[in-house]
Amino acid sequence: MGKKNESAISRREFARRAAFVSVAASLTPGQLLNAEPLASPLEAQQPPNAPKLSPEGQVEVESRAQAILARYGSRLSDAQKADIRRLATEAQPPLDRLRAYTTDNGDGPALYLKPLLEREKKPSPKAAPSKPATTPKSS
Amino acid sequence: MPGEEIFYLPVTELAKRIESKTLSPVELTQTYLDRSQKLGPRFNAFARLTPEIALAQAKAAEKEIRRGHYRGPLHGIPYAAKDLLAVKGIPTTWGAKPYANQVFDYDATVIEHLNSVGAVMIGKASMIELAGGMGYRFASASLQGETRNPWDTTCWTCGSSSGSGAIVAAGLAAFAIGTETWGSIMCPSAFCGVSGLRPTYGRVSRYGAMALAPSMDKIGPMARSAEDCARIFAAIAGHDPKDRGTLPIDRAAFTYSPSMELQARPLKIGWLTNAWKSLEPGVAKPVAAALKAIKKQFSSVKDAKLPMGPWEDAGNIIVAVESAASFRSLIRSGRVSELTDPLGQIAGYVSEEYSAADYLQALKVREIIQKKMDALFETFDVLATAAQPVAATPLTLNLETDLAFPDPLGGIGNICGLPAMSVPCGLTEKNLPVGLQFVARAGDDFAVIQAARTFQQHTEWHKRHPKIH
Repeated sequence: MGKKNESAISRREFARRAAFVSVAASLTPGQLLNAEPLASPLEAQQPPNAPKLSPEGQVEVESRAQAILARYGSRLSDAQKADIRRLATEAQPPLDRLRAYTTDNGDGPALYLKPLLEREKKPSPKAAPSKPATTPKSS
Repeated sequence: MPGEEIFYLPVTELAKRIESKTLSPVELTQTYLDRSQKLGPRFNAFARLTPEIALAQAKAAEKEIRRGHYRGPLHGIPYAAKDLLAVKGIPTTWGAKPYANQVFDYDATVIEHLNSVGAVMIGKASMIELAGGMGYRFASASLQGETRNPWDTTCWTCGSSSGSGAIVAAGLAAFAIGTETWGSIMCPSAFCGVSGLRPTYGRVSRYGAMALAPSMDKIGPMARSAEDCARIFAAIAGHDPKDRGTLPIDRAAFTYSPSMELQARPLKIGWLTNAWKSLEPGVAKPVAAALKAIKKQFSSVKDAKLPMGPWEDAGNIIVAVESAASFRSLIRSGRVSELTDPLGQIAGYVSEEYSAADYLQALKVREIIQKKMDALFETFDVLATAAQPVAATPLTLNLETDLAFPDPLGGIGNICGLPAMSVPCGLTEKNLPVGLQFVARAGDDFAVIQAARTFQQHTEWHKRHPKIH
């Protein structure tokens, strides 16, 4: 087997899909107030091989873990909550690397809008079986 | 009825026999169906067999061919489609329990294309749940259970096109359709010892296919040879107004005939020296031999290096954000808990938390690496390296902790939408297949096919298959 590289990201990272970044801006203050308090500080709960994070990184991870628990905590077991916290921690270094990579204002994102031309308009896929998620009207 | 040897013949050979009417599509289909019914469960290779569809299509093909209407090299050829491609009227499970009873009333564009050339669908291939879109820790992350490798049933096929790899390797169909967002064609092809083509992003329509990360999802063939892949790719490629990610008509379409190779340019090969941190010894030896062979086959083979940068980080963020959007209702409804894998049950919650700013930074980084790779392809036509640094892994392995290695080429290739092909290049001492990977500039799918074809014209590894009793 390939030797595990603690600091490297991998193809399995895709499967793991663990990283996350932003504080859940969509959470209401009420939700945040009702968030489940963490049993102890993040640092004390990390496994010994967890990546070392800056204080800012730790705060960021913690706030995100809190946001998830505020929204979904009632669905999660203690083991899952711990796993989420671990995943959040492991995801921080890739985010830090990505943010540290210098991009200029003029660097365009590799994202494009292809205008929907009249001649290309097609009806939506017929009768998708699963009910689509409700989309909030406000943005 | 056809004999045992038929199961491992390439599409090109089966097509010759069908066209000359020495092989009956109905008999061929029935033979593959019988074998798949018997052996499919051993490998968990199929989500389901579709004998009614198969026999109806085979009978129609036979009738047409008898009348002199031969549609081309896939006419009457049995295949399997990964179970994330919609087929009208039968379940399309996406390999996941929450979608176990999902039935579409239309066919995916890829299925329509294969129908139009007269191919015969014998079943839906098993797969990792949601193609790994919510993460997974174990090979068992599938509605169908773990897919076992025909070369060694204690080993995995890799994912997420797990069943597609097993089906081709075990001779249960002549070819299979897989999909790749990141590694899901290349890795199963390598682990299963088959030839797999990941086309340039946008050449094959995803309409009717499960969306995972729409800016990275691709569909491609897995078969017995590079030439087979080329012929299948020619049938499924093309612009589709129903998939707005497809390239324009003149860029998406692909035509292939062996005579094209006579006019092909001499390829400049770049042998990547930094694609993998290290290769498992059992893999290193065949790959070293493959390099020797390549140096004999191509006049220009020089060392090449991938640019350094956070390309995998960018790719992971793009996949996480887009998959969280694709499966938003599953995550928010809590039905994600019905997934098999413990990681799949929770990772979506985490993926939802990415910021738009970080996603856009990833897209900016994507633009930068696209330009860097385009510059590298000014020097080389094709880059080559091992398809994977390891051979097939044990079924029980924890993929999260025990199979972690950097994969910059996988990251770059998939965020840039580059075409790639994995072909068998040897066996380990444990008789497990080893794959060789070719990657080319976006749009130059022919270059990877040409490189792989050249390699296979001088080697026999693609003709090897597991002994199955």
